[in-house]
Amino acid sequence: MKLDNRTYPALFSLLYIVTGWLWLLIDNLVLTVWMGGAAPALLPTVLKNTVVIIASGGLFYGLLRVHIHMTCRTRQQQEEIEEQLCCARDDLETRVQERTTELLKMNSTLTQQMASRVQMEIALRDSEERFRQLAEHIREVFWVYGIVEERVLYVSPAYEEIWGRAVQSFDERPLDWLEAVHPDDRLRIQEAHVDKHRLGHLDVEYRIVRPDGAIRWIWDRGFPVRDQTDHVYRIAGLAEDITARKLAEDQLRRQQVDLARMSRLSLAVELASNLAHELNQPLAAIVAYAQACLTLLRQGHTDPRELVGTFEGVVNQGLRASEIIRHLRQLVQRQVAMQTPLDINALLHAVIHYAQLELRQARIDLHLELTESLPKTLADDLQIQLVVLYLIRNAVDAMCQMPEGSRQLIVRTALASADWILVTVHDTGHGLSPEAAERLFQPFFTTKPGGMGLGLPVSRSIIEAQGGQLWATPNPDSGVSFHFTLPVYAPAHSPYSDHELDAHRLPH
Amino acid sequence: MNSMPTVFLIDDDPAIRDAVGLLLRANGLAVETFASAVDFLESDAVQRPGCLLLDVRMPGMSGLDLQKRLQEMDCRMPIIFITGHGDVPMAIRAMKAGAFDFVEKPFQAQALLDRLHEALALDAQERRRQARRNDVAARLALLSPREQEVMERVAAGQYNKVIAADLGISISTVEIHRKRVMEKLQATSLSDLIQMLALVGGE
Repeated sequence: MKLDNRTYPALFSLLYIVTGWLWLLIDNLVLTVWMGGAAPALLPTVLKNTVVIIASGGLFYGLLRVHIHMTCRTRQQQEEIEEQLCCARDDLETRVQERTTELLKMNSTLTQQMASRVQMEIALRDSEERFRQLAEHIREVFWVYGIVEERVLYVSPAYEEIWGRAVQSFDERPLDWLEAVHPDDRLRIQEAHVDKHRLGHLDVEYRIVRPDGAIRWIWDRGFPVRDQTDHVYRIAGLAEDITARKLAEDQLRRQQVDLARMSRLSLAVELASNLAHELNQPLAAIVAYAQACLTLLRQGHTDPRELVGTFEGVVNQGLRASEIIRHLRQLVQRQVAMQTPLDINALLHAVIHYAQLELRQARIDLHLELTESLPKTLADDLQIQLVVLYLIRNAVDAMCQMPEGSRQLIVRTALASADWILVTVHDTGHGLSPEAAERLFQPFFTTKPGGMGLGLPVSRSIIEAQGGQLWATPNPDSGVSFHFTLPVYAPAHSPYSDHELDAHRLPH
Repeated sequence: MNSMPTVFLIDDDPAIRDAVGLLLRANGLAVETFASAVDFLESDAVQRPGCLLLDVRMPGMSGLDLQKRLQEMDCRMPIIFITGHGDVPMAIRAMKAGAFDFVEKPFQAQALLDRLHEALALDAQERRRQARRNDVAARLALLSPREQEVMERVAAGQYNKVIAADLGISISTVEIHRKRVMEKLQATSLSDLIQMLALVGGE
């Protein structure tokens, strides 16, 4: 039987009443027995006490009920609270789990980030190390200039070796390097230094004077370094000691000048010898005509008809000789290199005239592919004649070993662009090995048995001095083509008219 | 006209051909001119009497090439080379190869004419010798083998008696052969016979 909130207070109260009444009964009975039967007012007492017991039992019940009721309510409330607590805890646990997952995720990301960060740091350290090794061991001076700071931020140790000054001096005297610059170059370098700030670029060559008085040539280049806003805030540069190269260049230039003079002389001598040969022909004819006349006259042949033809021969051959001499004078009269407007096709005709004998002897077929009405070029005509003559002679040499009939020389002119005239000398000779092609223009390189190896470098320097270029290309079938360009003469820039310049050129 | 000794002038310069041709003709020489060695070779001039006045430097076949070619063709025409100033090495080569002479441009007319006459004379002499040589060879061809044997011994200076003994024939037979030989060769004397044989043998 289940005891609920209502039954068990009733049970307890009934038990209390029964127990109380029994206790009363027993007490009255014992008392009656002990006293011997003399219990006058027993019944009323019992009745009275019974009522008291029942009443107190009722009270007890009531109290119990109240108590139980109270207890029940408290428990209910407690359960509710517990339930709420329970819910709250579950909620909390879920959230904690979510957060934990999140945290774990973040943690792994962080770990990864940290790993890559460490790697980056290592890489950075390596890169820094490499940079340091590079900067400290290259023979060039590596420098960084801060535009905002207005001073040199870094200079590699090579500075001490090249400049002969301490790197620390930059901190004490920021313009120390400029003081080392040769006085003749200083102004120019100062200007370049100012421009450097403005443009971020630097490319200059200058001399420095070392503390021991030695002079070194420096090639200094600077490149802009930009920040994230694309603003140039630093300039990084390299300063290289080019003294050796400069000296070699100077020497080469001096040699080339000498060689040009030598080669020009020897070419002129050859030209003269060619011309002498040419001159001998009309002379021999004149002498023979005159002697024929003398013979006729001595024999008494005074018929003018007989003599006229002979004298005409004398006159014509005399004119032929003077024409050759006029050419010769044109060649030797002007010794100073002079740029004049000249017709390249006419020049080629003149040169080929000199080379004719040689070409005939070598049994070479000459093809002239001259573009008509080319603009004039501005160049020294003697020098260009020498170059063309040299190239033709070169072609003749290249073809002398080839079978007869296959020796073709093509001389071509064309307008390469609006500004350049292109001349090509094409042979069908033995061509060039790749090694020879590479070294063709080096002085003293030759493939000819008796050659000095100077003709091509000298020719190139002559053409370059006129502003043009000289180069060689192998022909698809056989032989080599030499090409050179000369600038087109633009009379608008000249204070003289074409005509006037031509007049200056004529021999007097 | 064809048999007249001629100066064959070969030069690529028309002015030289004209002027020198005129000079030589004025001096009574027959002249024919050619612009190149090939033109000369293609003409019949090679076979004709005369001499060559030849330019060393020429386009196509040079003077030296022609000289070599003529030697290959067994043409013995004398060659006088015309050289320019700087052609001394070429002249030396030409002389070594058997040229008659060389003259330098411009020419000394008299010297040139003298040398040309000498060259023509040499050619004529050479041609005469050649003609006689051909003549003798033709006559020698008429001899019988026995007559040839006898003639060789006679020329060697052997007596008739020795020849007869050598060949196993009588002396009178030797004498008959000997007489026939002299008749056939049209030799007037023993020395004449020996000269004839020397001319042919020298070939």
